[in-house]
Amino acid sequence: MRDLQVSLSQTQRVRFQSALQQLKDLSPGSGPAATVVVADSIPVNLEDSVLKGHGTAESDGQLVATVCGVVERVNKLVYVRPFRARYKPEIGDIIVGRVIEVAPKRWRLEINFSQDAVLMLSSMNLPDGIQRRRTAVDELNMRSIFEEDDVICAEVRGFQHDGSLQLQARSQKYGKLERGQLLTVPPYLVKRRKQHFHHLEDYGVDLIVGCNGYIWVGEHLETGENVMLEDQDNHMEKDGQSNLKLKGDQDEEGTFTSVETRRNICRIANAIRLLSALGFTLSLEAIIDTVELSFASNISVKDMLAAEFYVQTAEREVQRRVSKLRKKA
Amino acid sequence: MVGLSSGEKHFIRGGIAQDLRSDGRQRLNYRPVSVEVGVIPQANGSARVRLGATDVIASIKAELGRPDPLRPDKGKVSIFVDCSPTAEPKFEGRGGEELSTELSVALQRCLLGGKSGAGAGIDLSSLMIVEAKICWDLYIDALVVSSDGNLLDALAAAIKVALSNTGLPKVTVDLGTAPDDQPEVDVSDEEFLQFDTSGVPLIVTVTKVGRHYIVDATSEEESQMSTAVSVSVNKRGHICGMTKRGGAGLDSSVILDMISVAKHVSEHLLSVLDSEIAVAEAAAMS
Amino acid sequence: MEFVNPLTGFRLDGRRPNEMRHIRGEVGVVANADGSAMFEMGNTKVIAAVYGPREVQNKSQQLNNQALVRCEYSMANFSTGDRTRRPKGDRRSTEISLVIRQSLEASILTHLMPRSQIDIFVQVLQADGGTRSACINAATIALADAGIPMRDLVTSCSAGYLCTTPLLDLNYVEDSAGGPDVTVGILAKTEKVTLLQMDAKLPMDTFENVMQLAVEGCKAVAQYISEVLLENTKQLESRRGM
Repeated sequence: MRDLQVSLSQTQRVRFQSALQQLKDLSPGSGPAATVVVADSIPVNLEDSVLKGHGTAESDGQLVATVCGVVERVNKLVYVRPFRARYKPEIGDIIVGRVIEVAPKRWRLEINFSQDAVLMLSSMNLPDGIQRRRTAVDELNMRSIFEEDDVICAEVRGFQHDGSLQLQARSQKYGKLERGQLLTVPPYLVKRRKQHFHHLEDYGVDLIVGCNGYIWVGEHLETGENVMLEDQDNHMEKDGQSNLKLKGDQDEEGTFTSVETRRNICRIANAIRLLSALGFTLSLEAIIDTVELSFASNISVKDMLAAEFYVQTAEREVQRRVSKLRKKA
Repeated sequence: MVGLSSGEKHFIRGGIAQDLRSDGRQRLNYRPVSVEVGVIPQANGSARVRLGATDVIASIKAELGRPDPLRPDKGKVSIFVDCSPTAEPKFEGRGGEELSTELSVALQRCLLGGKSGAGAGIDLSSLMIVEAKICWDLYIDALVVSSDGNLLDALAAAIKVALSNTGLPKVTVDLGTAPDDQPEVDVSDEEFLQFDTSGVPLIVTVTKVGRHYIVDATSEEESQMSTAVSVSVNKRGHICGMTKRGGAGLDSSVILDMISVAKHVSEHLLSVLDSEIAVAEAAAMS
Repeated sequence: MEFVNPLTGFRLDGRRPNEMRHIRGEVGVVANADGSAMFEMGNTKVIAAVYGPREVQNKSQQLNNQALVRCEYSMANFSTGDRTRRPKGDRRSTEISLVIRQSLEASILTHLMPRSQIDIFVQVLQADGGTRSACINAATIALADAGIPMRDLVTSCSAGYLCTTPLLDLNYVEDSAGGPDVTVGILAKTEKVTLLQMDAKLPMDTFENVMQLAVEGCKAVAQYISEVLLENTKQLESRRGM
């Protein structure tokens, strides 16, 4: 969602504008020259043998930006860090993606990159957890691990010679994600951290913030529980086939996420939707803070996306940044 | 639109069963509606309606024409919907044609009534100027700019708003001497008559997922539907048209149940839309 | 018909000969697209949406050393003064799609995104002359919004020659007067021409003037687009914070 189409009242609009203005005043004074748009020239002394990084090109003896963003200088390297763009993978990134094809010995995943990513059967731990050569039987059983449309979490392994992006999932924490919802946000709002898996114990929720802007919010599962759910799914399918549809429905109802946990999942998901619509960084603190604010102001889950809370969240972001600056000082 | 994994589908169905959908709405809640009028100044009336990430534009063009000889007391209205590839790349080329046709036909059925035009949601006789000689031809064109489910309801709402934004030029007719003559017409470019839209219906699509009904389904939720019934309801609570989509067979009692849900929801939606129209008209004036 | 008042020198809509219509650009109008923009030139109003760079959908079209750029131009039924229902993919829109694609491809650094595909969809909401130019301008903003690396901003503007006066940015009435209509697209910074079309005869030296006027128009548009993008980028920056 690009921006929520909230209709603000006169006072809300004034409050919102003032919050935005404050954010502008608070933003680190990188100076006007540091923000560039396409074709702006970047002042450098070309004789100092600068290294032209991403988002720059040389034209008529000048260094110009090829994307809109902020100029960064690291020693001799000059590059432009863009805001809105597709995901740019880096080795070791934790990503969330969706399987779009099961191919021989590999899965192809959509991860908001300019191409599909590849997860080889050989770069993932098998469900039995034993390290061994992959057999032909494993290859035939690939669909029992991941099938089309499954949401999975993995790590960026690197690029192949042919330019394709390789993933790996060599740990228990990676794998299929179920019982929850997938949100997509612009990747520039996600910062690379040490930790991208969060178990929010207070809420019983697992939050996985993929570096590619795909965020998973789901019921907390201890590793190993997945298998059980799968069994139930299979069981259900069989029920459906044998025309016991009604019974299947009732069976299914027993396996649903509890209302309490669901409410938390939706609350966290809406906090993320809201922050991303406002264009604020999606740090864990900001997400949790927004959720807590919604509790404190007694906002129902669906009203988190309505006008009043939209403005409140913007004002809250100002407070957060002010206190962060104070801490630094 | 990408598919959903079995885990996500299960989660969505669970949310609907527990009356707490993925974005926190209850089963019978609409997403916030936002309305803009006069977006196409060249048209007689136009509106843009957004429902979450669904975004549609409707435009009304009025032209003078001759009524159909088979129903000389009624004006003519035609509705066309186009799905722009900006909404989804799969609509490029002829990709959006099937959906466009489905939506156009559903809207025609829900707003224009049958061949005789007698039961039409839009009052066709108000478009008459001189019986059997001159009437207004209304061309309603809608465009889907961005799609995230529930296109039909959004389109019908946009059409209703656009009609309320429509001014038909005042027409003075000089009925010549001979009764067979085509009368002389003078179309005023200053005086406009507001089109009466109080009776124009809205469409509420009730989607059945599992054993429950939801309204305003997102495209993710639509992928889980077994059946959807679109009912057009006007201010008086009359049902003006109906379409059932989706493969599953339904018990007729279930359909009646869904209709009563739609009717119930429509009252709320109508009032929301009316206040949004007022706000939008005020914004367009200033 | 007098398109330029001989006494006052003003055009029918009150503009001076070298004056452009009011232009307005807005970034981010389509929720699901990677980049999108709305661009208005007077009453002409278009939306552009960019999807990609993404996996090539039709593998046989995949290029191994550069991105595949595709473009589709469509007109809404209600976009023209006289309502017409036009079939999709008629020759005119195919030609305009091609023109838009070619002039933008000159700027996109396609070699940085091999084996991927970029789709540009432009939708005309209102046509009042200069749709080609408006589409290119909208598409440029949308591409920049999608973060697709470009050599330069491609901007476009038209100019004509009526009543022995070169006129900038023709509207529909002036365009249909039968005079020449020169549409120019340039790479704004280097002032290299990527698009040039003219549809009537014109003396060589007059053509030079008309074209120069159109180029000036392009530069003015580029200046404006640059401001819009800068404002948008700053907004994103200050909202995100650090």
